[in-house]
Amino acid sequence: MVQEKKRKLKVFDYFYEAEEQFSGGLAWCAGCTLELAARFVPKVLGKDIILVGCPGCSAPVFYGQNRGAWHRMAYFSSLMTGVASSATGISRYYRKIGKDVTVVCFTGDGCSADIGFQPLSGAAERNEKIIYITYDNEGYMNTGYQRSSTTPLGASTSTTPVGTASQGKLTPAKNVPLLMAMHGAVYAATATLSHLEDFAKKLQKAKEKVHEGFVYIHIFAPCVMGWRFATDQSIEVCRMAVRTNYFPLWEAEDGKFSLNLEVANPKPIQEFIKLVRKFSHMQEADITGFQQMVDQRYAIIKKLCEVIK
Amino acid sequence: MTLAQKGKVRVITGNSAAAYGAMLCRPDVATSYPITPMSEVAEQLSTFRSNGLTDTEMVEVEGENSAMNVVLGASMAGGRVFTATSSWGLSFMYDAVQHASGYRAPIVMVIANRESPGILAVSGGQQDIISVRDTGWIQVIVEEGQEILDMVIMAFRLAEDYDIQLPVMVNYDGFYLSYMATAVEIPEQRDVDQFLSVLKQQPRRQTLEPGRALGCGTHGIDLGFVELRYRQCMAMERVTTKLDDIDREFSEYFGRSYGGQIEEYRTDGAEIIIVTSGGAAGTTRVVVDSKREEGIKVGLVKLRLFRPFPRKRLAEVLKGRKAIGVIDRSVGFGWNSGPMYMELRAITPEIGIIPMLSYIDGLANLDITIPHIERVVDEVHNAAQGKPYQEVTWIPLEE
Repeated sequence: MVQEKKRKLKVFDYFYEAEEQFSGGLAWCAGCTLELAARFVPKVLGKDIILVGCPGCSAPVFYGQNRGAWHRMAYFSSLMTGVASSATGISRYYRKIGKDVTVVCFTGDGCSADIGFQPLSGAAERNEKIIYITYDNEGYMNTGYQRSSTTPLGASTSTTPVGTASQGKLTPAKNVPLLMAMHGAVYAATATLSHLEDFAKKLQKAKEKVHEGFVYIHIFAPCVMGWRFATDQSIEVCRMAVRTNYFPLWEAEDGKFSLNLEVANPKPIQEFIKLVRKFSHMQEADITGFQQMVDQRYAIIKKLCEVIK
Repeated sequence: MTLAQKGKVRVITGNSAAAYGAMLCRPDVATSYPITPMSEVAEQLSTFRSNGLTDTEMVEVEGENSAMNVVLGASMAGGRVFTATSSWGLSFMYDAVQHASGYRAPIVMVIANRESPGILAVSGGQQDIISVRDTGWIQVIVEEGQEILDMVIMAFRLAEDYDIQLPVMVNYDGFYLSYMATAVEIPEQRDVDQFLSVLKQQPRRQTLEPGRALGCGTHGIDLGFVELRYRQCMAMERVTTKLDDIDREFSEYFGRSYGGQIEEYRTDGAEIIIVTSGGAAGTTRVVVDSKREEGIKVGLVKLRLFRPFPRKRLAEVLKGRKAIGVIDRSVGFGWNSGPMYMELRAITPEIGIIPMLSYIDGLANLDITIPHIERVVDEVHNAAQGKPYQEVTWIPLEE
């Protein structure tokens, strides 16, 4: 999909033509991929959306803590336990009064993969007509880089620190986008910031498919501060995650899986690991284990694309 | 077909009465998650929906926390919302319960009161609502089936009133009132519509609308937070007289009145007063009558409004009495007494120092019987005569 239309990229049009919904001077960190994602979402979905979020990196900007810089959208800050349910309530109310409104949840992985997973799962099962976007920075980056259930195997965080007895997280990440696809979401997809044209297409698809039911988009959003890499490397980290098949770009529409970008010669996982200092303690054996995990996960997606198409 | 055409008086359970009351108010969105002894409210609402009696959006959520968050979201968008729970369900939605009052969301929730987590107690008691008394919700406790239905209707008027804008919990005894079937008059739909129509003439609250820059966050900052809290508290203060007004207006429409904040029974000339709430008030009435015949000047005050605490009206009623007995169906940890008793003690400066006796009874579905209340009246009467008395009595343990 991406490859055949590659020459007709519209991604720059969004930046130059679509109205910017945020003012300058937002309180996000330099090099933050979440900021790019947050600015980009309304450029494609339009400003007439109702955003629902929760405490996390996105919240201070969305609810307007930094009073000098804000946005022009309707935003409701739920608690971390209630994002998908509050969005359900908003969406159902507008359905009741017969008004077509796009309700978009925008949360980090701490909400969607951990504490807010139950309502997310419930909303998906009920096939609520909402779009749920997760910006996955693989941990609780806002509260000081603690681990979440999407923190990858071996990653050093403030609650899985490297010590003499243990080195980083002991278990692999929960595969949330796959879980959401398996809920029977009408549309589930992964996206990242190095492939904005792909992300834009998925957002457009989301806007269309949400009229049929639940839509889930999982954005790989590396964190400069928590993962420890240079502020000019954010997009490179995203790109390398795709090129190593660490974060494959796929979608599942009406239960049919497809890879949006099949990497011809995937790079070894070292190429990704070496960019990010949260992995810097990893030894060769760790990296071999990590590579196996990446290969296995990719194989699942690849197989799903072959079997259910 | 409207509900009223199904028959004016029906024999229904307390849970059904709550569901009828809610449906007559035409909520936009309603949710619930089953829990004993409230599940029937959810079933009844779903049945109304399945039979086309209502066009309310029913959301069958996967837990109580989501039940509260769904209605909160819908309320923030401008909808009228309703939900129901009990005990552990209320505990599980605790964060959202506080969130809802912080947002001044006018949610109406009925609670079939049940013992709360800690000891595995699938039984009646009021510990569940006592544990959320400082969450910024209005708490009303009712006595019987008709009052459940009527109070649900009044609760929407109260919650959504522009001067108030606070969520309301309508409480009734789980297992007792929830399952007991009594004759309940179902008001005419048009009368309920008319009764609630005054809300439409009031200013509209800010809502979440597409294209409207609005950052709803309860993360108030420094002075902003303090101001929001102050306003919330002041709204709570206005509830007391507002409920009295709504109760009066309700009686003009439907011919039934419950006294607003408190209901007095034979308090004229009473030297001693028994204060209690919920179904126990009914039993106490019987005892008041019989004790009056014996010559004991006793009266009853049924506490309907627990949050805000009707301190002014209670002070007016209790001032000049010789002794007061308070029967609680819950405990106040750290005080070894009933929570309502504790709160009444706080108005001592207004009513003067008189004997006040705390009785803990009716925990875990144990009946608050006529002999229990007779004992309470006798002991309070003796205390009024200047005889020594025990401050706190756990009635079931001393029987």
